[in-house]
Amino acid sequence: MNWSTALPLLILASSFLPGLIIFCLPEDRVVTRTILNLAGALFKIVLVGGMFWGILHGYHFEARLTLLPGLDLVLRSGPLAMLFVTLSSGLWLVTTVYAVGYLEGSPHRSRFFGFFSLCVTATTGVALAGNLITFLLFYELLTLCTYPLIVHRGTEIARQAGRNYLIYTIIGGALLLLSSVWLYTLAGTLEFTDRGFLSGLDASLHPTLMIIFCLLIAGLGVKAALVPLHGWLPQAMVAPAPVSALLHAVAVVKAGAFGIIRVVYDVYGIEFANSLGLTLPLAILAAVTIIYGSLRALFQDELKRRLAFSTVSQVSYIVLGIALASPIATLGGLIHLVHQGVQKITLFMCAGNLAETLGIHKISEMNGVGRRMPWTMAAFTIGAFGMIGAPPLAGFFSKWYLGLGALDAGQGWVIYVLAVSSALNAAYFLPILYTAWFKAPPDSWPAERSFGNKETAWTLLVPPIVTALLTLALGLLAFAPFNLLEWTRLIVSRGFA
Amino acid sequence: MNAIVSVSLLLSALGLPLLLAFPALHTHLPRPIHMALLPAATLVFIPVDFAIELPWFWLGAGLGIDALSRWWLAMSVVVWGVGAAFVPTPAKCDGYNPQTSLLLLFLVGQIGAVLATDMIVFFSFTTLMSYACIGLLLTHGDETTRRAGRIYLVLLILADILLFEAMMMATATTEYLDFATLTKAMTLSESSSFYLSMVIVGIALKVGVWPLHRWLSLSYYSVRPAMALLLWLGPVATGLLCGLRWLPLGELAAPMAGAVLLAIGFTTIFYAMLSVSRVQWKQRLICVFFIATGSFVIGLGTGLIKPALWNQYGDSAHVFIASLGWGLALMTAGLEWFKDEGETSGSSNENLTELSVERWFDAFIRWGGGMGNETLPELRSSWFARCKGLRQKRGWQNTFGTGEYFLQRWSIATTLFILLVIVTLVLLLLDAM
Repeated sequence: MNWSTALPLLILASSFLPGLIIFCLPEDRVVTRTILNLAGALFKIVLVGGMFWGILHGYHFEARLTLLPGLDLVLRSGPLAMLFVTLSSGLWLVTTVYAVGYLEGSPHRSRFFGFFSLCVTATTGVALAGNLITFLLFYELLTLCTYPLIVHRGTEIARQAGRNYLIYTIIGGALLLLSSVWLYTLAGTLEFTDRGFLSGLDASLHPTLMIIFCLLIAGLGVKAALVPLHGWLPQAMVAPAPVSALLHAVAVVKAGAFGIIRVVYDVYGIEFANSLGLTLPLAILAAVTIIYGSLRALFQDELKRRLAFSTVSQVSYIVLGIALASPIATLGGLIHLVHQGVQKITLFMCAGNLAETLGIHKISEMNGVGRRMPWTMAAFTIGAFGMIGAPPLAGFFSKWYLGLGALDAGQGWVIYVLAVSSALNAAYFLPILYTAWFKAPPDSWPAERSFGNKETAWTLLVPPIVTALLTLALGLLAFAPFNLLEWTRLIVSRGFA
Repeated sequence: MNAIVSVSLLLSALGLPLLLAFPALHTHLPRPIHMALLPAATLVFIPVDFAIELPWFWLGAGLGIDALSRWWLAMSVVVWGVGAAFVPTPAKCDGYNPQTSLLLLFLVGQIGAVLATDMIVFFSFTTLMSYACIGLLLTHGDETTRRAGRIYLVLLILADILLFEAMMMATATTEYLDFATLTKAMTLSESSSFYLSMVIVGIALKVGVWPLHRWLSLSYYSVRPAMALLLWLGPVATGLLCGLRWLPLGELAAPMAGAVLLAIGFTTIFYAMLSVSRVQWKQRLICVFFIATGSFVIGLGTGLIKPALWNQYGDSAHVFIASLGWGLALMTAGLEWFKDEGETSGSSNENLTELSVERWFDAFIRWGGGMGNETLPELRSSWFARCKGLRQKRGWQNTFGTGEYFLQRWSIATTLFILLVIVTLVLLLLDAM
C-alpha cells in the first residue's frame, strides 16, 4: 500500500478511530475525549491539506476494495471531492470546539461525540466516493449516525423528530438503492466519470434513464430538503445546536446536494442530462423550493426553525446552479455549497449561544440582545447579511454567479426568482437584526447563565466569530491566490465540453 | 513618488475610518470622524488623477480619483467636516453608543462610493453606507426618525435588488463592470431600455424624490440640520452620483426615460416649494435640499434626452453638485451656530403607529404562522369560514377540519403522494417534450 492508496483511507480513519475510542470512554474522561476530538479534527485537516498538495502536484489518490465481482468500494480524490472534503473537515474542527463548550456538563457526551465523529467519517466517505455504490454506503451510514444525534436529548419531541427523519431518509435511501441497481443493470458500471457514463447508451433506453433520474433525485432530494421532501428538516431542530449546525452546514443536507451534483455531472453528465430535458424540471423544482422555504421561514418565531426553513431555501440555490446547465451557474452553485455552509454554521452557533447563555429560543425574546451579547450578534449579523447576499460578503458572489449563469443559459426567469428570494431573505433576517440591535432589552432574560464579565464561554464565542470572519474573507478575498473560484472553475471545466 | 503617496492616501481614506469604527479605537479619541476624514481631505489637494485595481478584492476592486470625482470628494469632505462638528453624540447608556461607529461606517460607504471606478465596488460601498444610515436613524431616540429608518429600509431593499439586477444584466450583456466602458457598451446593448428603467427606479427609490420622499421628509423634520445635511450627502447625493455613473449620459438618447426623470425632478421641486410655506423658517433648509435634488434629477433627465447637450455641459454637473454641497454645508453651519439652546427639532404630523407595509407584513406573518410545520401547510377551516358567504356554513368547516386532521395524521404518506404526483407530471412533461 502506497501513499496514494493510503491517504483516502487515513482521512476516513482520522475521524473513525477517534469516534470508536470515544464510544468506550467513561463520561468523566472529559480531557481525553476533548483531546481525541480535536486531534482527530486537526489530523484530518493536515491529511486533507496533504491531499490538496498532492493533487496540485499531479498525484492521483485512489483506494479500491472489491465488494462483489464488478462492484468496488472506491475512494478517490478529485476537484469536486476535495471541495466537499475540505468544507466538511474545516467546519468539523470549528463545530467540535463549539460542541465541547456547548455540551459541557451534559450527560451522554461519549455517545454524542462518538456518533459525531462517525457522522463526519460518513460525510468524508460521501465526498470521496468514487462510484455510486460507495456513495450509497456512506450516504446510508450518514443517516444511521445522525439519528442518535437528533434524538440525543431523549425527549418525546426529539424521538418523534428522529423517527420522522429516519422514515424520510430511509425511504430516500431505498429509492437511491433501487435506482442505482437499475442503472447498474443498464450500464454495467457505476463509476463516477467526468461528463458521465450514460451518454453512450442506446437511445431506446433514454425514457428509462429519465425515470431513473427522477428516482435518484427523489432519493437525494430527501436529504437536500427539496420540496415536498423537506418535512423532516424543520422538525429535526430539536437536536442540540452543534448537531443542527452539522446537519445544515456540513453533513446531511450538503450530502444530498452533493449527491445531486454527482448524479448530474458524473453519472449522467450535464450535457447529456440537458439533452434529455432533465435539467429544466430540476431547476423549476429548485426555484419552487427556494421561494417556498423563504416564505415558510417568514412565519417562524422560533429562531432555529426559521433558520431551518432558510436552509430549505438556500440549499436549493446549489441545485438551481447545477440544473441551469451553464458553466457560470454551476460555478455559482458550487461556491454556494461552501458559502452556505460557512454562513449557516455561523447562524446556528449564534442561535445556540443565545439559547445556552440567555435561554432565548424565539425571535420575540431577542429584544436588545445585541447589547448583552454584541460579539455573538455581530457574527449573526455578518452571517445574515451573507445569506441575504449583501456585498462584499460571501453570499453576494453565489447570487452574482447564479444570476449571470441564468442569463448565460437563457433562463431569464431565474433572475426574478433570485430577486424575490433576496427580498424574502431580507424580510426574514432583517427583523431579527432590528429586534436584536434596536429594541430595548428586557429587565431579565428567560434563563440567563453567568460567565463573569464575558458574554459567554470562549468555546461558544470563538467558533461563530471565526466562521463570520471566514464569511467576510470569502467575499472580500474572492480573488486571492488559491481562491475558491479558481477551484470551482477547475471542477466546471471538467464537466463541460 | 506622488503616485505612491496618492495610493496610500486613497487606501487610508477608506481604511482609517473603517479601523476607527471599532468602538475600542475611537472611544478614546477626540473628534474621531474628523481624524478619519484627514486622508480624504489630503487626497483632494493632490492634483494627480490615478486609478488602482486591487485584484485580490472582490472581482478586482477598482478605486481611483479624477478631476470630476475630486469635486465630489471635496464636497464630501466639507459636508462631513461641518456635519460631524454639529451632530450631537447621545449620552452613553449601558456602555452602548453605536452612533460614532455607524457614522464612521456611513463615512466609509460614502467616500468609497465616490472613489469607486466600477459598479460592484460602488454597489458594495453604497450598501454599507445605506445600512449604516438606517442604523443611525434607528438609534435616534425620536420615534419619527425610527419610522423614517424603517421606511428607508423597505425602499433600500427594493432599490438594491433593482440595481443588483441592472448590474448583472449589464455585466452579462457587455462583460464590463467599470464605468468608463460600461456606459458605452450599454448603448449598443439590446436590453439598454430595461437596464435604464431598472437604474432609474432604483435611484428614485434611494434618493427620496417625490413620491418616494416620505422617509426623507420624516427624518429631516425630526433631526438636527447637521444630521439632515449628512442624510442629504449620503443616500441622496450618492444616489445622484449613481445616476451620473450608471446612466449612459451623453452616449445614448433615451427620450422616454429622460422625460420621466424631468417629470420627477419638476414634481420634487414643486412639492418642496409648496412645503416652504408650511414649515418653520429654520426647517426651510429641508425644502432647499429637495429643490437641490430635484434640480439635479432634471439635469440627468436632460442628459438622457439630449446627449449632445450633456457632452457639452455634463462636466458642470459635478461642479454644480459640489457647489450645492458647500452651500448647504454653509447654511447648515449657520443654522446650527444660531440655534437656540434647548430648542428641539420639529416633528411632523404623521401618524406614528406602524407603517402600512408593516401592518400588511404582520398580518401576513400572523396568517402564515398558523400553518404549522408539516410538509403541507395545514388547511385552516377557520380561514375559509371567515370568507363572506361561508361564515354560516358549518358544513364547509367540518369538511376542511376533517381534511386537515387527515393530512396531519398522514403527513409522510401525503408527502410521498405529492412526490408521486410530481414525478408523474415530470414524466408526462418529458414525454410531451
